[in-house]
Amino acid sequence: MGKPEATLEIPLEISDISGQKVFSVSNAPTGNTVGELVHEMLGKMSLPRNDASGAPLTYQARLEREGRHLNASERIGDALEYGDKLTLQPNIDAGLLRF
Amino acid sequence: MTLNFPHFFAVALFREDGTTLGTVPVHRDWEPAHEWTRFHHQRRGELSLEENGVASVLPLWEHTLGEPYCRGYRIRIAQPGQRPVQSDFPSTQFREFASAVASVFVEDKKLREGERYTYVVVAHPAPPEAPKSGGLSVSNASPCVPVQAASLQDYLARATPIGIVDCEDMPVFVARQVLAEVEERTHAEEGIETGGVLIGMLWRDEGVGDIFGEVTAQIPAEHTSGSNVKLTFTPQTWAAADSALRLRNRGEIYLGYWHSHPVRAWCKSKACTPEQQRACHLAKDFFSADDEAVMRAAFPRAYSIAIVANDTAFTDLTFSMFGNREGITQPRGFYVLEGSTSGT
Repeated sequence: MGKPEATLEIPLEISDISGQKVFSVSNAPTGNTVGELVHEMLGKMSLPRNDASGAPLTYQARLEREGRHLNASERIGDALEYGDKLTLQPNIDAGLLRF
Repeated sequence: MTLNFPHFFAVALFREDGTTLGTVPVHRDWEPAHEWTRFHHQRRGELSLEENGVASVLPLWEHTLGEPYCRGYRIRIAQPGQRPVQSDFPSTQFREFASAVASVFVEDKKLREGERYTYVVVAHPAPPEAPKSGGLSVSNASPCVPVQAASLQDYLARATPIGIVDCEDMPVFVARQVLAEVEERTHAEEGIETGGVLIGMLWRDEGVGDIFGEVTAQIPAEHTSGSNVKLTFTPQTWAAADSALRLRNRGEIYLGYWHSHPVRAWCKSKACTPEQQRACHLAKDFFSADDEAVMRAAFPRAYSIAIVANDTAFTDLTFSMFGNREGITQPRGFYVLEGSTSGT
């Protein structure tokens, strides 16, 4: 199924890095941004929003179909298709940051 | 999988003389305890390997004082058509939160710096949640815990234990070749933190009735930036690891990650004496809050592990492993596996 020209909502599948947490979304609004989708899914998937210091973590959604990371500002209706699979991938630090 | 909270928890702090400092609603990460409970019962065959069953966080009332005072909390997971499974956790798990609250009280001058305090955990029935309208409609489509059949004894027969192996931990076997590669990468990047992703298999020994893990390979982390105290994993790092895992096409899954601690560089920057270095708690079995945060964000399942390569000036490279034990990331033992692995 191609681009949802007149569809207001589309189903998607979202997973974490490990692939062991997978959630189906039945009604992703095509008018919303990818950033809004990621923000809401972090809570649904019980993924942390902040790092150890309390600073917000940045997650990028990787679109499996195209093999690219989506920009947070992209509209779901423009970037995604019915049934697309996304992986939420964070920018995150390991280490002795408070040394 | 969202946790249900029929009660809300709070921490009440008291001065040494028993006077009240204040009561603060608890904000903590319950997921590690939830994940541990789920996998603990799955290992024992008491809970399905499928991701189902609603989980709730319940108070454990103090034996003498009773409600609303808690001696801990319970994670209970319902099973359709079967008895629920549950695990209990002590109120000491609120210590870190209580300490953070105490710090705020110090800033607010309610408590003096260094002044002793005590805390108790209390719980009160939560008001019924109003039905939410709008928002995403989401269902859990997580796969079953991916286990295959194997003999634990076969693995133990060709493995050497490292560290203190707790019989309650899921046994983890790491191919010697994996550690050799970790050592090579650590030395190649001496002084700078480096790392990679650990992949492998989960096995179930039906005769023993337990699940064990095998780390078959490590995928070097690319597109990272590292310093002597930090290693940044980027979205491109995870994408590259995923491509490598798919290319291997051996049915392996992510089991965690490894990174190096360039302790010798840390000690050099602080001009530590050899005696200080040998006694330093950073030299072995140290896992920072940031290291834990990577586990939490990328490898949240309770079977996930992390390996740290400790590069010190006073001994050969050592390895520490960390995993989820009763909801807390703790150092743990593991086995080094000789010979070929299932990934070769």
